This record gives sequence, structure tokens and C-alpha cells, in this order.
Amino acid sequence: MEKNIIEELKKREEEARQIRRKQADWNYINNQPTKLKLALVHYIETGDLYVSAKIAGITVEEFNEQRIKARIPHVN
Amino acid sequence: MSTNAIADTSFLIDWAKYSKRDLLFKIFDTVWLPEAVLNELKSENTVMWVVENLTRGKMALFPELANYREEALKLMELSSRYPVRRLDYPEAYCIAVASDRGYIVLSENGAAYSAQFLYARAQVWRALEVLLELIRHNLIGKGEVYKYEEETLHRFPTKDLERLGL
Repeated sequence: MEKNIIEELKKREEEARQIRRKQADWNYINNQPTKLKLALVHYIETGDLYVSAKIAGITVEEFNEQRIKARIPHVN
Repeated sequence: MSTNAIADTSFLIDWAKYSKRDLLFKIFDTVWLPEAVLNELKSENTVMWVVENLTRGKMALFPELANYREEALKLMELSSRYPVRRLDYPEAYCIAVASDRGYIVLSENGAAYSAQFLYARAQVWRALEVLLELIRHNLIGKGEVYKYEEETLHRFPTKDLERLGL
């Protein structure tokens, strides 16, 4: 039972990651300062707003605005 | 169902963009905010909405308490045993409080969503679950889910929408 749930959750995470990778504006991301660029890539790979904001050194809401500018969808 | 919820930043910053955001208080009498959430808000729109509702008594600050802090750290450690996203501290704190006090966690964090199926006692609602509850109470129509996506630039998984007949 738990194994099935884990598989389903892993599948969801992977699907969300693929959507973020596909829809992101990579040109915008690659032209950002290093810390912000790394934070946006971290977000694409993990969907983790909090840690991404910490990497970028800005608040969660400021990072969320950067996410929107980089056209990375918030998929959950 | 509990009439108290505890919300993290990921929920608030999207929900605050929604034109019918105050409907949240038709479901919950009080939405608690961990104190640290205030430091993570920046936009005038979100801050104004939060302050307005703190003033109206619809929202309240939840203090940082040592027992929940410890429980949150335990949940973070527990989450690392599973091969899915691990919990960060803010969501873990919300889950620790909600598990003990019977609140519902409001979060868009994927790890928090997963936690309720694996190791956490608390229920975790995304905006989608809040919208479904509003639909259930005939406070909005089904089309509002798409309006929410449009207004907040938030995207719900197609699978979830299909499963719910949307």
C-alpha cells in the first residue's frame, strides 16, 4: 500500500519537474546573476520555493515573482 | 472538519492574488500564520490582505513554540527516510502544530502534500482542496478553478482536475 503511494507521489514529482523544465524561459534564467540563476534551476528541479528563495537570498514572495518572470509554472 | 487552519507562505502568496480570496473565511473561522511567514511576504497586495485580516481577527499569528519546533525537526528527519521530496522547516512547523491541535494545513508545498499520505497526521490542503470545499458549499461554480489558475498563474495537475470531473 505504502509502496504504491510512494510510486504515485514520485510520478507526480517527476511530471511536475518535466512541466517546469519544458515551460521555463531558459534564456531569461541563463541571463540572471549566478545566485538567482542557480536558485531558479533548483526550483525547476525540486519545486521547493523556500529553499530556492534562501539560495537566491531573497524572501519567498520575491522569489515567487522571479519564478513568474522566468515563466516557471507552480505545479502542485 | 476543523474551522481552524494554519497557512504557510506558499499558499498565501498565490491565494492572495485570487479575486475571491476572502471566501477562505467562509470555510475557516481563523487562519493562523506562523510568525516567520510575515518575514517572507513582500508584495503590497499580499501584505495588505494579511494585515487587513489580522486586524479583522480572521487571521492570527501563531507563535514559535519550542515543543512544535522540536516536533517539526523530527518530521523533517522522518521525511528524509522517504524517496520523495523532504519537508522544509516552515511546512514541518505547520504540520506539527496542525497535528497536535487538529488544524488543517494550507500549503502548496509538494513535500507537505506528500507528508499527509506517508507520515503526518494532519490534513494538508492545497488551493484546489479549498476551491473544492467552496464548490461543495455552492459558494462558487466549477469554472472558478480555471479562473483561479488564470488569476494566480498557478497550475493544478490535469490528472487531479480530471479525477474531480473538472
